[in-house]
Amino acid sequence: MKKLNFCFSTKLTFDNYVREHSFALRCIPPESAAQHILSCELDIVPFVSTKQTVDAFGNNVITGYLKGEHRFLDFEVKGCAEIDSTAQKRDYMPCYLYQSAYTKPDAALKEFHHRISMTCTESEPYSRALCFCEALSQLMTYDKQATDTKTTAAEAFELKRGVCQDYSHILLSVLRLDGIACRYIAGLASCDGETHAWVEIWDGCCWRGIDPTNNCAVNDEYLILSQGRDFGDCAVDRGVMFGAYTKQLQLITSTLSANGYY
Amino acid sequence: MRLCFVFLQKEFAVRQEVIILAEATAIRTPVSNAVEINELLRRYGVKFGIYKNGVFKEQLFPFDPIPRIITAEDFKSIEKGLIQRVDALNKFLFDIYHEKNIIKDNVIPEDFVYISSGYLPQCEGISPVHDIYSHISGIDLVQGKDNEWYILEDNLRIPSGASYPLIARELTRVASPSAFTENDIVDNRNYAKLLKDTMDYVNCGGINAILTPGRYNAAYFEHSYLAELTGSVLVQNDELFVEDNILYHKTYTGGKAKIGALYRRISDEYLDPLTFEPSSLIGIPNLMEAYRSGNVAIINAPGNGVADDKGIYYFVPKMIKYYLGEEPILKNAPTYLPFYDEDREYVLENLGKLVIKDVAEAGVYGVVFGSDLSEEKLEEFKNTILREPRRFIAQEVIDFLDLPILDNGEQVMRKADLRAFVLSGATTRVWASGLTRFSRNPDSFVVNSSQGGGFKDTWVLSR
Repeated sequence: MKKLNFCFSTKLTFDNYVREHSFALRCIPPESAAQHILSCELDIVPFVSTKQTVDAFGNNVITGYLKGEHRFLDFEVKGCAEIDSTAQKRDYMPCYLYQSAYTKPDAALKEFHHRISMTCTESEPYSRALCFCEALSQLMTYDKQATDTKTTAAEAFELKRGVCQDYSHILLSVLRLDGIACRYIAGLASCDGETHAWVEIWDGCCWRGIDPTNNCAVNDEYLILSQGRDFGDCAVDRGVMFGAYTKQLQLITSTLSANGYY
Repeated sequence: MRLCFVFLQKEFAVRQEVIILAEATAIRTPVSNAVEINELLRRYGVKFGIYKNGVFKEQLFPFDPIPRIITAEDFKSIEKGLIQRVDALNKFLFDIYHEKNIIKDNVIPEDFVYISSGYLPQCEGISPVHDIYSHISGIDLVQGKDNEWYILEDNLRIPSGASYPLIARELTRVASPSAFTENDIVDNRNYAKLLKDTMDYVNCGGINAILTPGRYNAAYFEHSYLAELTGSVLVQNDELFVEDNILYHKTYTGGKAKIGALYRRISDEYLDPLTFEPSSLIGIPNLMEAYRSGNVAIINAPGNGVADDKGIYYFVPKMIKYYLGEEPILKNAPTYLPFYDEDREYVLENLGKLVIKDVAEAGVYGVVFGSDLSEEKLEEFKNTILREPRRFIAQEVIDFLDLPILDNGEQVMRKADLRAFVLSGATTRVWASGLTRFSRNPDSFVVNSSQGGGFKDTWVLSR
């Protein structure tokens, strides 16, 4: 068990004025058996009235509507959480067993699954996932330029390149081909200065985390911000606005630091 | 839109009398002036739009003056059957998005539910007002040559079509008033009241609004007509916004009015770009959070597609027994699921006489008549079914009872179906009318407005 201080901030800057800007943020870490939120504060600039709900996947959703013209939206969430990655989380949903928009496999992914499932001698879901993760890490190269947030598992697999989001989508796709229920996690990790993504595997009774990008098990230095079938359910921020803007620039920084051991 | 009949009647010198043959015994005075009625429909913009090769085209929806007649006795049993079916479907939707007992009790295999594109996990755990998911259900039926009514499909998302018989009846009253004084026809003008009652019943405080994607939508005429009849505001997404999880309409004076019930005529996937398809330009950001918070009723509820899926259709009679403990009053067309061993055997042996539907495809896409396939193609198809048994359902081809239509002044027989409208509010009620569609082509079994067919009024007799 570990106590972590977290700080996560996003600065959105627009080329030109925008208005009637609706947004939904999934940046407030959800409370669970494995993650007790001791404190959490959210600051949004410019000032805007917000509401909080919990979506179908158990994520905290902060919604807001900025009517007037503005050229930026900044938000910062910080607080302290107690993490125990060995605690049992049982919030299962049947949809996690089925492929979703980002994870739909093509022939190459099916072939890859076929190949690695032949060589993997494990039978337990979590052990098989570790096995697939190992095979994946040998094949993929970490590359920040190769993909973007719209890239699917099949597309990233064809490139054999990508970031944590792509690694996670590919692992989800092969796990679901294997009949193993699994979900996408967006969160913060001490190894990543932005947002990180990893995968949780349903082992028949509870969720267990694997980080395919680093080919390792998830420990007490990972903080969950949101969870879902794939990136589409978990985006930390989503927004829609009116205006003549052409581009937006997003700067994300996050820090996660241990504040004590138990 | 205002309807004004005053000047039109004299303009048409040509009056075409329609003679209805003896079959329709209950009819004392036939509908006259078919040409005039169609001309009025054209003037009032009763059209539907279609996209063909990327080009938007508006088409008239030809009205045939010979009504479909349903006797009071027949209607009574259809009505009972439809209420039963829609009540069971509403209970199924609540169950699927909450406890999922019907799956736990092994009545429906879970795969059929979760691979359905209409199942939306984003709607898990949301309870719509009074637990009603399908407020307006369009149930398609056909009458077989054995006079038995069969359910062809359930439409629980945004079924359209009620406005066509509604306005056709209105215009027929003007052009051929004696048809209604001489016959005992149940008045169908109560549709607006049924719809308004339904909206009012689930309204979370605020005004009623009908959300249209705009005038290029196939059913725009219907959206505007129903808004006028129910006193709802007809809106497009750029007139709406969600603030503090409350849905508002921007009023003409620069203020805002809370919307308590939104009869939306756009599909689930475009409804809220922050929950569903991010590229949607016709949706309302954060509508789903307003809905989840209980601040607005969405009519029909998002996620209903899981219950009118081709694969789920097979299980509706089982749902009726499971949720209501009753025997189904209306029959499904005989349907087989290759997923089950017994059914698969039958399907493979009789493929040549069955109609096969791909559950993953919408509408008439993915519908194959076995009789249209060559020996070679049949074998190929059998292999596909063996490989992916879950993907298909097979049905017996129903021998429809043909209905008479007028084709260039001559009476000919054509295939026709009936879309009945069922409204669920404080109680579940069936509108005593409906949309009867027929195919233009004498050999066609597909009754679809985009393929050149037309429609008829549906007269339910009061005795």
